[in-house]
Amino acid sequence: MSMTIAARMPSGEGPPSAPPQAIPFRRLIRVEWVKATDTRAARWLLGLVAVSTIGLMLVPVLAPASIEQTYTSYLVFAAAALGILLPPVAVLMLTSEWSQRTALTTFTQEPRRIRVIKAKLAASMLLGGGAAVYGGVVTAAGLGVAAASGRGVEANLTAGAAAGFVLAALLNVGFGVALGALLQNSATAIAASFVLPATTGLLVLASKPVGQWLDSSTAINWVLKNQWGGHVPQIVFSVILWIAAPLAIGIVRTMRRDVT
Amino acid sequence: MITTAALTKSYRQIPVVRDVSFHCEPGTITGFLGANGAGKSTTLKMIVGLTRPDRGSATIDGRPFADLPNPTRVVGTLLDAAAMHPGRTGRATLTIAARMAGVATSRVEHLLDLVGIGHAANQRVRTYSLGMRQRLGIAQALVGEPSVLILDEPANGLDPEGIAWMRTLLADFAGRGGTVLLSSHLLHEVQATADHLVVIAEGAVVASGRMDELLASSTLVVRSPDPVALAAALRVGHIDYALGPDATFTVDLSGGGITPEKVAGVARDHQVLLSELRRSDADGLEQLFFSLTAASAAHAQEVPA
Repeated sequence: MSMTIAARMPSGEGPPSAPPQAIPFRRLIRVEWVKATDTRAARWLLGLVAVSTIGLMLVPVLAPASIEQTYTSYLVFAAAALGILLPPVAVLMLTSEWSQRTALTTFTQEPRRIRVIKAKLAASMLLGGGAAVYGGVVTAAGLGVAAASGRGVEANLTAGAAAGFVLAALLNVGFGVALGALLQNSATAIAASFVLPATTGLLVLASKPVGQWLDSSTAINWVLKNQWGGHVPQIVFSVILWIAAPLAIGIVRTMRRDVT
Repeated sequence: MITTAALTKSYRQIPVVRDVSFHCEPGTITGFLGANGAGKSTTLKMIVGLTRPDRGSATIDGRPFADLPNPTRVVGTLLDAAAMHPGRTGRATLTIAARMAGVATSRVEHLLDLVGIGHAANQRVRTYSLGMRQRLGIAQALVGEPSVLILDEPANGLDPEGIAWMRTLLADFAGRGGTVLLSSHLLHEVQATADHLVVIAEGAVVASGRMDELLASSTLVVRSPDPVALAAALRVGHIDYALGPDATFTVDLSGGGITPEKVAGVARDHQVLLSELRRSDADGLEQLFFSLTAASAAHAQEVPA
């Protein structure tokens, strides 16, 4: 075992190494992507997303009498699986550094914390986009199975439905990311990602006009089903309330927080 | 090179670090010594930008840490070996650090062998002992080929063989022109590893300088079979002394005017036989450390590290 280590000489012999440059943003994204996917816990969670999407897709395949056999109605099942599990996945991308205390390392590697948060946001959006593509593929496979069983299926996917599906997945990720950034604690933020929509869902039952402004699920559902007509103000308000505002506060908190 | 200027930090109105200023030169190992809760970790975290000082500043090679474009290429840090993701393997942890630093991932294999955890590289950090985590943490600190190392209690959890290994590694690093700042609450650890010393108590620097100068005793122990005659001789020679139990005279040399030679000369002039004349350097640093920190220990323990 060699004891030799290379300390860069402040004014020593040998070729001076190139002056260090800022970490390229692409590299930050790549590292955040690796960190989001390389632990056993992350792989279990992503595996769960994959399996439960397939599991929910069995519903329209096995119950053709009660569910329209179209790409659009199948997509709703994929969206349901992603809607339940993407927020916690996204939460962990922002909170695990605090809960595992690896922020101590990360913020000494890149002290411009805003760049780290941006990289996490980018990686989470890539993850959300990838999950949406996967959901689309599973949906197509479900329809394929249904068609192979001799059933008549409507398999043409409109651009609007596809865009709504992808956007809904990204909004779910954004919701989780924002909660994670705000609360900075895995358990609290994951709990909140389930409790808050459930609570505002009850609000919709109590008062539909009020609930429609405050319920994140209602907004995401409109986006999913491409029902923007007449709902744009509510959707925008929900995005500000549940994503933009907590994310902004969370970023400020992260920038200011003493890492201990 | 590390410079801190009047770093000051309070938590909930309780001062944790007070006006801490010191300087670490290339080619030296500075031991940052203090009791638990004395403010060592908070100071180190302020140097690397993890904690915002209320006042004061710190620079590495003349620049604030947060202004370093890619800090791990300049400063290797190990602040808490327990703060590693338990679900990630040693190799994956180090590979992430190598990617961030922008060094070839082949360096990962070299470092895994260097710190002696190559055999466990594919195991999750969860399964590592604290000593192995320290070794992984040191590898992570070295990954960007830095010229400065900042290590918080690096000897924690290391076995004697590991501590000896780390000393060699740090001496080699400093020998090549690197700057090392390491904290410890263990006096003998610092004494054996560092050549410069900064002692902190209750958040304030109470002593700093070269280890050999701090170690050099400022007290002379003098004994004679005839203590009465010795006392008379010292008085005539205008040498202040303190008389301890069993007729041990102690003479303060710190003013510089009094030397062992002068004391011996006074004794000779008065024909007083000396049975002992020595610097009380056996436990010099220990005495210094305890005298500086003991008074504050009770208070300091209530302050979070």
